[in-house]
Order: sequence, then C-alpha cells, then structure tokens
Amino acid sequence: MNSLIKLEITRALRNKKFLFFSVIYPSALFLLIAGSADSTTKVDGTGLTLPTFFMVSMASFGALTAVLMGNSERIAKERESGWVRQLRLTTLPGRGYVLAKTASAAVISLPSIVVVFAVAAAVKHVRLDAWQWLALTGAIWAGSLVFAALGVAIGYLASGDAVRPITMILYFGLSVLGGLWMPTTTFPDWLQKIASWLPTHAYAALGRSIELGDAPHAKDLAILAVSFLLFAGGAAWLYRKDTLKA
Amino acid sequence: MHRARAATMVPMTTTAAPATTPVVGFDQVSKSYGNVRAVDGLTLDLHPGETVALLGPNGAGKSTTLDLLLGLKHPDTGAVRVFGAGPREAIVGGRVGAMLQSGGLMDEVTVGELVKLACDLHPKPYKVSDVLARAGISQIADRKVNKLSGGQEQRVRFALATAGANDLIVLDEPTTGMDVSARQAFWATMREQADQGRTVLFATHYLEEADAIADRVLVLHRGRLLADGTAAEIKAKAGARRIAFDLEGPIDEAPLRALPFLTSIDVSGHTVRIQSSDADATVHALYGLGLYPRNLEVAGLGLEQAFVAITAAEEAKSQ
Repeated sequence: MNSLIKLEITRALRNKKFLFFSVIYPSALFLLIAGSADSTTKVDGTGLTLPTFFMVSMASFGALTAVLMGNSERIAKERESGWVRQLRLTTLPGRGYVLAKTASAAVISLPSIVVVFAVAAAVKHVRLDAWQWLALTGAIWAGSLVFAALGVAIGYLASGDAVRPITMILYFGLSVLGGLWMPTTTFPDWLQKIASWLPTHAYAALGRSIELGDAPHAKDLAILAVSFLLFAGGAAWLYRKDTLKA
Repeated sequence: MHRARAATMVPMTTTAAPATTPVVGFDQVSKSYGNVRAVDGLTLDLHPGETVALLGPNGAGKSTTLDLLLGLKHPDTGAVRVFGAGPREAIVGGRVGAMLQSGGLMDEVTVGELVKLACDLHPKPYKVSDVLARAGISQIADRKVNKLSGGQEQRVRFALATAGANDLIVLDEPTTGMDVSARQAFWATMREQADQGRTVLFATHYLEEADAIADRVLVLHRGRLLADGTAAEIKAKAGARRIAFDLEGPIDEAPLRALPFLTSIDVSGHTVRIQSSDADATVHALYGLGLYPRNLEVAGLGLEQAFVAITAAEEAKSQ
C-alpha cells in the first residue's frame, strides 16, 4: 500500500497545473483581496483585521482546493477507465486506494496552507503567537479531511462526464457561501443563517477562533464532525456499491 | 470416444481429470443482469499446466466468466473456487495474474513506475527490469503511460499481469490492438509461461490463436458451455472435415445422403461436397457403395468454421 501512496504523491507533485491552483492561487487571491487593506481596520463582527481574517479564509480555501478538486475527478475517471478494477486484482486492500488518494491530497494541502501563512506574514505583517501558527496549521490541515472525504464520495457518485461540473458547483458553492471569499456578514440575513451551517463556514471559523485565542465554538466542531461522518460514511457506502457492481 | 455423439451438439467431457485440486473450479455458476443470464449453470475445472482458450461470440459471457473467476463479480448461485479457495484469497496469495480487456492504467506516471508498483504489490515479485524486458517495454520505461500506443498499452497490462510468480494467468482478449508481429511475440512469451507449468486461460475472438496456442478450447454461448476439448476435437465435433469429389454420369443422391458421419451434402453438376465428422469412415463407405470418385479431396475445416457451425446449430436449436 505504501508504494501506491508514494506513487500517488509523486504524481500529484508532478501535476503543475494542479499545484498552481492549490498552492499558488490561494496566496495570489490573498494578495489581491488583502493587498491594499490596512492592518488596523477590523472586519465587521469578527474582531480580526482584514489580512488576518483573509489569511485563514485563503488557507482554508487552498486546502479545500487541494483535497476536493483532484481526487473526485481522478477517482471517477479511474473507475471508468478500469484502473480501479485492475487494482482489485492485486494484493492491495480495498481501502488502500482511497487512503492513497487522501494521503496525496494531504501532501498538497499542507504547502497550500503554509504558503498562504508565509505570504500573509511577510507581505501583510500578520503576527500571531507560535502556538497559534502551529494550531492553525494543524486545525486547517486536519479539517481538510472532511472535504477529502467529500471528494472521495463525489468520485464514487459521479460518472466521468458529470464529475467536473458537480465538483465545481460544490467547490464554489461551499467556498462562497461558507465565507471563504468574503465575510458572510456581507450576506443578507437569510443567507447568513444558511451559511452558518455549512462545513466550510465552520472550518474557517475554527481557524479564526484560534487567531483570536478563543476556544472553538461547539457548534462549529459539531458541524465539522457531523459533516465528516456524513461524507466518509457516504464515501464508504458508495465505494461498497461500486465494488459489488464493478 | 466423442464421435458417436459428435453430431448432436452436447458438450464433450474433459479428458481424464488429474486428482490434484483444480486450478479453477466452477460449480453450477449462474450470473444474471436483470433478465439476461450472462452465465448459466456453468460447471468446469481447469487443471495445472493447461493452456485454455475461452471462445464465444460477443455477449457469450466470456468477460463475465473471467470476472467471476477473478472475484470482480459474485455469482448469483453456485461456487467459484480458485486453487481450492475463494478468488480473493488466491489473488492475495499472489497466485493469479490477470490482464483485463478494459484494464485502465494509472496515467501521469511512467511505465517503469507503474510496473514497479505492480511488483511492490505482488507477494512473490520478479525484478522490475526482468518484467519490463519480458513484456518488451524496457525501451519505453521512462515514457508516461498516457503517451502510449494501443499495442504498447497492452504490453504494459501484460507486464502488470506477470509482475510476480503467478500459477494462473488470466487474459481477456490480450492481443486486441496489436499488429501481427507483436501478437506473435506476445504468444511466444505466453508459451514460455505455460512451459514453466503455469496455467493460462485466455478469452479471444481470434480463432487462429486458440487453434495454435491452446491445448484446450472452451466454447461458450449464451452463458453455457457448448464444447470443451482440444481444437481438433472441436473441429471434429462440428462436422469439420470437408470431402469433395466428382462422379461420372447421373448422380443418385439417396445413397450418398445415407453415408455414415455425414453432416451436410451439396451436389452441383458432377461435383459432390460433403462435410463429415469422420472422414475416414465416410470415404470408406463411399467406396463401399461401388462408386468411383474422381479428384477426391479431404480437407480439414478451420476452427473458425467449426465454431460457427457449433454456435449456429445451438441458435437453430433454441429457436
């Protein structure tokens, strides 16, 4: 199984377009949004400055891109091409394929988080305590597993043709509505209510509570935990269904 | 022993089965998709060292049979045993290598990396360089998998199927997309595998391959086993010898039609064409009639014609 994980990681690191979108793009977007912002004005109702606020948003967005975009499409395509069947004729245990995909996504999502932090610290002088940097990295990295599970579920749900639009809709929907691109406080009331239940909203809120030095909200942790169980359970169920009919 | 039954299209019995555990055992295996019975009460054993061809028209159930054998599909009823255990156990034990017809490959990696992965995953692996060399892909080891031609892809699939010391190799239409020389090279390699005592099972629609390579041929039609024997036996079973001769004077067809082992007759002018399941006996009886056939020719039919005859007879029977 380790050799498949290694090969999946090698392959992911070789894909320049994918690396650009998940590692460079979130940092570029951060500079675009927060570049001209001053470092004292607080974002409405958050107690955070704009650069600090968007640093977490973009780090979360980068991690989301890395874990969601590549895997769903690869899994759907590889199911269709028969590579998944070919792997079933090896000693690789059934879960090995999904684990390798998740591991390679995690390897890409870590630099996408760290690069946003580095850019924010260097260009916009965001300053946090050492424990906060570490906790932020850990929380955003671990939290991305929720969306990695979603990516796997989509890969087993969608066919090769449908997988890209489905992924795109969920990706942009979760990013925008979850407040990764703009604070949800700019939304109308009814939309804010919906947004507050999205896993991406909880994901970014987790990071922001670390920046504020607060304990994370129980509601956010619960949303993330329930989402993870739903996505991972769905992925496992769809995987089983696919295995039986293959 | 099969001759008396040859005209009726009943599956032949296999030549005496050795007492060892069969490599593959199908016991009354059925598999349906909705209303379609893809495999219908299939019972067969494969024995160590056999090279077996699985023949059948499209939709005969070849791929489903191989999927059941490999544990990719599960039978509705009946049991599939591979080396006395379930298919998955046989694969985990490194005893089975398989090349699927639609065996997609991982792209964006090199041929060498993919073959190394297959070797790493095999419990009894060969050296990567040996596997590459045997499949004839050492020169393209650094090439990306998604940049290969159809024939090269087939060779990579073959390499994946032979990454370790398997006891059974299963190939579904392995030479599709290969040109003639590549096909010959492929079967030469495959024969080496068989010579080392491995059991090889391949599905094909190139009948000359089955004729030249297999020492046992299984004919599958609508999920059922129509014939099981050597290529020569299958040909004999289909009335697979053609006798042609000329007769002088007016021809009386009635005694000719009564010739033993005759399966069909066609008289045009002075020329008589007969198909016989036992040409020796038919010709002997022909002389027995007191006739003097001129320009006598006795020729074998190809496996292809035999195959067509067998499946056509089954179609006729089921209508």
